[in-house]
Amino acid sequence: MKAEMKKLVEVRNLKKYFPGTEVSIFQTGNDVKAVDGVSFDIYEQETLGLVGETGCGKTTVGRTMLHLYQPTAGNIIFDGVDLNDLGERELRFARSKMQMIFQDPYASLNPRMTVGSIVGAPLDVHTDQSRTEKRERVQELLDIVGLNPDFVNRYPHEFSGGQRQRIGIARALALNPDFVVCDEPISSLDVSIQAQVVNLLEDLQKKLGLTYLFIAHDLSMVRHISDRMAVMYLGKIVELADRDEIFLNSLHPYTQALMSAVPVPDPDLAETKDRIILDGDIPNPSNPPLGCNFNTRCPVATDICFKEEPEYREVENNHWVACHLVK
Amino acid sequence: MAQINPEEFTVTDFAVREHRSLWGDAWGRLISSNTARLGMFIVILFVFSATFSHYFWEYEPKKDLDYSLKLKAPNLVVTEEIPSIHPFGTDKLGRDIFRRVVHGGWNSLRVGIVAVGISLAFGGVIGLLTGFYETVIMTTVERIVLFGITGFLLGMLSAWISNQLIQLLVFTLLGLAAGYFKDFLEGKLSRVGIFGLLGALGSATPALFMGTSVALVCGILGLLSGVLLSMALDGRFFSNVMMRIMDMILSFPGYLLAIAIVAFLGPGLGKGMIAIGVVGIPVYARLTRSAVLSVVHKEYILAAQSVGESHGRIIFRHITPNILSPIIVQTTMGLANAILSAAALGFLGLGAIPPEPEWGAMLGDSYRYLTSGAWWAVLYPGLAIMLSVLGFNLLGDGLRDALDPKLRT
Amino acid sequence: MTPLLEIKNLKTRFYTQDGVVRAVNDVSYTMDSGEILGVVGESGCGKSVHALSMMQLIPYPPGKITNGEVWLDGQDLLTLNEEEMQKVRGRDIAMIFQDPMTSLNPVFTIGFQITEALLLHNDMTKREAKDRAGELLELVGIPGAKDRLDDYPHQFSGGMRQRAMIAMGLSCEPKLLIADEPTTALDVTIQAQIIDLVKKLQEELGMAIMWITHDLGVVAELAHTINVMYAGSIIETGQIHNIYKETKHPYTIGLLGSLPRLDDAPGTELVSIPGLPPDLLALPEGCPFAARCEYRIEKCLVEKPPLEGIDGKDHSVACWRWEEIAGIGSK
Repeated sequence: MKAEMKKLVEVRNLKKYFPGTEVSIFQTGNDVKAVDGVSFDIYEQETLGLVGETGCGKTTVGRTMLHLYQPTAGNIIFDGVDLNDLGERELRFARSKMQMIFQDPYASLNPRMTVGSIVGAPLDVHTDQSRTEKRERVQELLDIVGLNPDFVNRYPHEFSGGQRQRIGIARALALNPDFVVCDEPISSLDVSIQAQVVNLLEDLQKKLGLTYLFIAHDLSMVRHISDRMAVMYLGKIVELADRDEIFLNSLHPYTQALMSAVPVPDPDLAETKDRIILDGDIPNPSNPPLGCNFNTRCPVATDICFKEEPEYREVENNHWVACHLVK
Repeated sequence: MAQINPEEFTVTDFAVREHRSLWGDAWGRLISSNTARLGMFIVILFVFSATFSHYFWEYEPKKDLDYSLKLKAPNLVVTEEIPSIHPFGTDKLGRDIFRRVVHGGWNSLRVGIVAVGISLAFGGVIGLLTGFYETVIMTTVERIVLFGITGFLLGMLSAWISNQLIQLLVFTLLGLAAGYFKDFLEGKLSRVGIFGLLGALGSATPALFMGTSVALVCGILGLLSGVLLSMALDGRFFSNVMMRIMDMILSFPGYLLAIAIVAFLGPGLGKGMIAIGVVGIPVYARLTRSAVLSVVHKEYILAAQSVGESHGRIIFRHITPNILSPIIVQTTMGLANAILSAAALGFLGLGAIPPEPEWGAMLGDSYRYLTSGAWWAVLYPGLAIMLSVLGFNLLGDGLRDALDPKLRT
Repeated sequence: MTPLLEIKNLKTRFYTQDGVVRAVNDVSYTMDSGEILGVVGESGCGKSVHALSMMQLIPYPPGKITNGEVWLDGQDLLTLNEEEMQKVRGRDIAMIFQDPMTSLNPVFTIGFQITEALLLHNDMTKREAKDRAGELLELVGIPGAKDRLDDYPHQFSGGMRQRAMIAMGLSCEPKLLIADEPTTALDVTIQAQIIDLVKKLQEELGMAIMWITHDLGVVAELAHTINVMYAGSIIETGQIHNIYKETKHPYTIGLLGSLPRLDDAPGTELVSIPGLPPDLLALPEGCPFAARCEYRIEKCLVEKPPLEGIDGKDHSVACWRWEEIAGIGSK
């Protein structure tokens, strides 16, 4: 099914460590292993969902993929080109093909710039278009995302959260990118507005042939929009599979616990649901446990889980898991 | 599926809020405050009288001298004794104090503007750069330039000692090379040796022409400079160093430092302006840096980077407009401070060269006559200082309240 | 049985530079002791403000409770002065908030903050209070509770801090615990732990809980009854089965329809509610939801519908056309 489709992005063993905080002048704390060896592919025009809780590294993966953070190790191959091989200028050009939509609609737009300038900024940087051409393009973009094009001269504070998020989407689309990383684009929005924005994103994907990496912690929303889903825990991917496969046949104990923890808006289901309540808290990413990252909270951990890190491998067709107990 | 209908949107979109700019809101808040209005009135009066008098009311301080009118009380009516009107009385040399106070305003205004200008220009740039590069990684070009400048500055020392221009060149080249080869330098102990050696040799060899002792000193300087350049200089290090230099300036009491600088540079109002300006640099540097730090972590900066905007564009289009509020407030308060400092310097006889009219100098001239009853010679210049400082302070307070982001809806 | 809490016609206004914000508009409902009530709505619907109004915690200026009665155990709380109110807060009604990092004082130990609450309302010695605090921390499931009394908030994780907040809230055995978005900022697995904990505590201690949230899923797991709020008014209320299974109000229907569910069939589309919530500075006449409602008629724009009970059921709706919309439930 996926084998014939072309791979747009390949991530190989990506690592991003952040330097630890200074304990004293002579000693720095351990590195924070935000992303610790992550590999996956994203196919053209698909949506790969990336979920996980605090400290799992999903936001860092998104940002490192666009080289907003310098990777500590690993390769990101975009359309056949390894980003590590590119110089600064070539990288800036590659940026025009991969864009990002940010989480906080209140902080991701410069409050002192007009909407027109914000959406037109990519055009200023990457193209030689004239002012009229740029203005037309900006109006076109605003129209595409469902905003009135006459509001080009307004400032972000005059818009609501959902509308600001649309401005962010318009900005991301300015250069006709192939790949868009959606970093928690709806988490800050009201529930009734979330559906609007998600519908818009799906609509745009069909119309413009976009490929998405959809990062979020709301499992139900990610499941709704994604074709495939990856679950991350403490810097590593624990499971990756087709959307339905992961729901009906999740193999990793963390994925199972995560699924059962998501509240379902249905009182009958809520009563009968199989509840797996995990013990304890998420460990500190600068001090991950020995062996499998999940062993401190795993309900079915065995001896080997405390000694050896499980291998991340394909156990069934297109279903990848990192767990000793899955054969 | 419920379609998103643009027409439907415009109805519910902006149904209630009219177009309001952020500056408009701030102005509204400023106007509505009584103290801010008072401050604005005083400031406008001050600026107006100062500029108007300078351009339209002739005054030649050097020719102003009339012993017959020495220390006369204020009079508003012409009498036989006093043929001219002196609303503020006369001073020890018979000069009209009113005229001198008004003209003194021009000097105070100039001092304020130039001194704050110097502090803002240098302090602001330092703060901007340190705050920015503390967070954002430098590009290769930026690093080469930074290291090159560092090398140049280090070389100045050697060049000064050995009186040779070639030292400057050697160190600049060393700096440029260090900037360019930074990636090769990471984590290698030998690089410290290589650069140290190059520095020592590059410095000592040409200095041999001047004498062995000079060559020795230069060699040591070269070694140290080379080692310093070979370290992994990056944004954080640069910011650290700059801020410690600011700390050093701040550790001097302001007036003392200003006096020292004036003593070094010589008398004159212009030198006074420079002194006050230099003393103020760290204040603006710290302020700008903290404002930049609060902005640079926001997502719209990350968004600008993801779009591919260059650092220069980010600094000018994104960071600078968003840090203006605290800087505007500080500038207004700074003007008050500068006027006060100029008056202090003038009082001590530094700064303005007599007979230039300057409020502090006027006070300095006249305070000893207080006991003999000439209160007007002290009161009016003093009042002028107090009112102008008060005006700027009130305005600054009003601006702070108006621009305070917490009050913005 | 007389209800524990009875709110009548509560109105709260905020007087700002831009105009009058009508945050809470004529809210009335009751709660029995031992009941878990979910108050659901989006931002700006007034759910938090009405709870703060009950506790007289609305700052004046700019806010003011302009109307209403809040009867708790025979007393109208809104007639009490500050001194009397302080006796009620913490002892009869306790409140916990969303962000435990800012609702706990970072410079005092957890133990100190809990004992402070205990000593304020009870006649205990410091020793007794400290012991009780340790018991409470154990009750909320903090491992090694006695030793953790001397820890500071920053030494606790988010989930543990929220548990400590719950311990503080329960310390004086209140009759009513108000929880304002307590799990919104927590990870979903931690949220599940907290919900589990609250359910157990409620069974053991029997207090009434008002759980304010925007998450319809959480309410389904936890509450007995639910109030759905929109633009400062309750638009639908009742027993949760009725609300979720036989939804009547178009807003609630839209809200439930716009939520993706893990058990959705593939390809299910999300129904979005068009438009934006109204500006509380200029609330329209009539039903606040009319502008966005696909069922609106002339009457909806002119007259605000009152909450009408549905015969024989614990279910009330504020809609002129609820009878015609009968039968549309959630999926």
